[in-house]
Amino acid sequence: MESGITANQLERKESGQRTLTRNQRRTLTFYLFVSPWVIGFVLLGIFPLLVGLLTSFTNYDGLNLDTVKFVGLGNYARVFEDPDVSFSLVRTILWGLANLPLWLVLSFLLALILNQDVKGSGFFRTIFYLPSLIPITAAVTAWRIILEKNFGMLNASISRFTPEPVAIGWLSDYSLPGMTSIAIWGGLGYGMVIFLAGLQGIPDELKEAAQIDGANSWQVFRHITLPLMTPVIFFQLVLGLIGSFQQLNLPLLVTKVGIAASSVPPRPIYLYMIHTYQQIFTSGRYGYGTALLWMLFIGILILTWIVFWSEKYWVYSGASEGAN
Amino acid sequence: MDAQYRDLMMKRVNRFFGYSLLILTSLILIAPVFFMVISSLKVDAEYLTYPIRVFPSTPQWRNYQLVFIMTPFAKVALRTAVLALSTATLSALISSMVGFAFARYNDVKGNKQLFGLVIAMLIVPFIVILIPQFILYARLKLTNTYWPWILGALAGSPYNIFMFRQFFLNFPKELEDAAEIDGCNPFQIYWRIFLPNAKPVIATVMIFGFINVWGDYLMPSIYLNASKTLLGVTLATAFKNPQGIDLKTISLAASVIYILPLIIVFFFGQKQILKGVVTSGLKG
Repeated sequence: MESGITANQLERKESGQRTLTRNQRRTLTFYLFVSPWVIGFVLLGIFPLLVGLLTSFTNYDGLNLDTVKFVGLGNYARVFEDPDVSFSLVRTILWGLANLPLWLVLSFLLALILNQDVKGSGFFRTIFYLPSLIPITAAVTAWRIILEKNFGMLNASISRFTPEPVAIGWLSDYSLPGMTSIAIWGGLGYGMVIFLAGLQGIPDELKEAAQIDGANSWQVFRHITLPLMTPVIFFQLVLGLIGSFQQLNLPLLVTKVGIAASSVPPRPIYLYMIHTYQQIFTSGRYGYGTALLWMLFIGILILTWIVFWSEKYWVYSGASEGAN
Repeated sequence: MDAQYRDLMMKRVNRFFGYSLLILTSLILIAPVFFMVISSLKVDAEYLTYPIRVFPSTPQWRNYQLVFIMTPFAKVALRTAVLALSTATLSALISSMVGFAFARYNDVKGNKQLFGLVIAMLIVPFIVILIPQFILYARLKLTNTYWPWILGALAGSPYNIFMFRQFFLNFPKELEDAAEIDGCNPFQIYWRIFLPNAKPVIATVMIFGFINVWGDYLMPSIYLNASKTLLGVTLATAFKNPQGIDLKTISLAASVIYILPLIIVFFFGQKQILKGVVTSGLKG
């Protein structure tokens, strides 16, 4: 990055007039080259965002464009009064709490083990990543075999130890643990790969030096590996948080909402995005739905900001210089 | 001697637990896929039984035939593959060009600010844009067409642009200068020198692009009706008997066919995929 600038400055000193046109030419080329993205960013990014914002102040229902009315902040006021919003928000937070910590710990643990000189680590890595590759539709179909209420593998296995066969609705009444297992199964390999890359970036000399100083393996982990990994954990936490609040596909497919138009999603996984999806696609309340979306956006921004603010208290910052 | 012996034993015990954990985890992670394959060979009556019977009494290979007979599976698969491949190619091409400009024109005013916007777009929740986009496309009467995919690809993707930029940053300046002296214009420098040297990134980006469309459920389900839909939706909706009851083992057979290309791609392109995951934080 640096050398490009200095080479240019040198040239500028050599011949004043010609480089100006060269600079202009470079500017022109640059903007020409990035123009597809810039046009896309404006038309497919900023514009929809603004249209969404505008829609959220109206009573638009998809058909009433001629008679559409501005309702001011009415839709936003409704967000705070809608009992389904507070309910779904609580379910979403529970969903995040069930998911994120477990996923972070498990994928970190796997990465730690694979980072030792394990025989066949390549093989294990492949196996662990495989579920991350399986599209959500196929994953849900496969997991039904295990989680189905009547005689699914899990319930059938539990029933061996109970006097009566059990019928636990892992995809309905107890869908929170059911969906969590699908999500963690699908995300573990991804998390592991990221953590593994982080672990491999820790220089061996650091650990060796600590061992020579008499540190045992727990102390090496606690005082060297863990602090050096906090930037990676931080990064994963931010992305995971954003992802949890956007979760839509999984409950949609598990409960077949939108597949059978009349079906009502079970309350345990009535997540915020499910509520929003229902408002827009089932009830045609575009105005209210986009207001819900913008509240989500603001909420995610605030959460991300909080995590970034907390960064200075627990994320080790010295490592970032080495990583670049 | 004693301490040394204890150390060795500790190491062995650790190693034993480590391996046990790895093998156990592998088994748990593979189990759903294993059950998917095994159950795809059962008749529906055997799908769930108590007590559990893991293996089918006679393998029903016919389930795999029925997948193609009951639904236009081959046609939908071909359509999905063509769309996935063309959007992946388009997006890779455009993103590499944009990434090239961001990496090699960092003396130009506005480069840093624009790239900041690329990064900002990574944080904006996709769902917040997807739904208003749908409202817009519906107004333009472009729902039930593939334009939303193609226009999206034509704009390049922030992830891909980021990957290409990082890659092109490391190229020596001399390479560019020499080409310029040889009379190459900027596009030729990009097309003849930078792009051919970016094969690993192109592979990574294209694999992810393909998987994203092939494995997608949400976008086809909101944009396309049954006559134009993609494989993800077909898989979730099409396998029912006339009474509307799910045909479970046939849809499992369809799932096996559905994931097969991805598994093949993964085994051949594993290195690129895992590298891509690490560089961009992108999930497959």
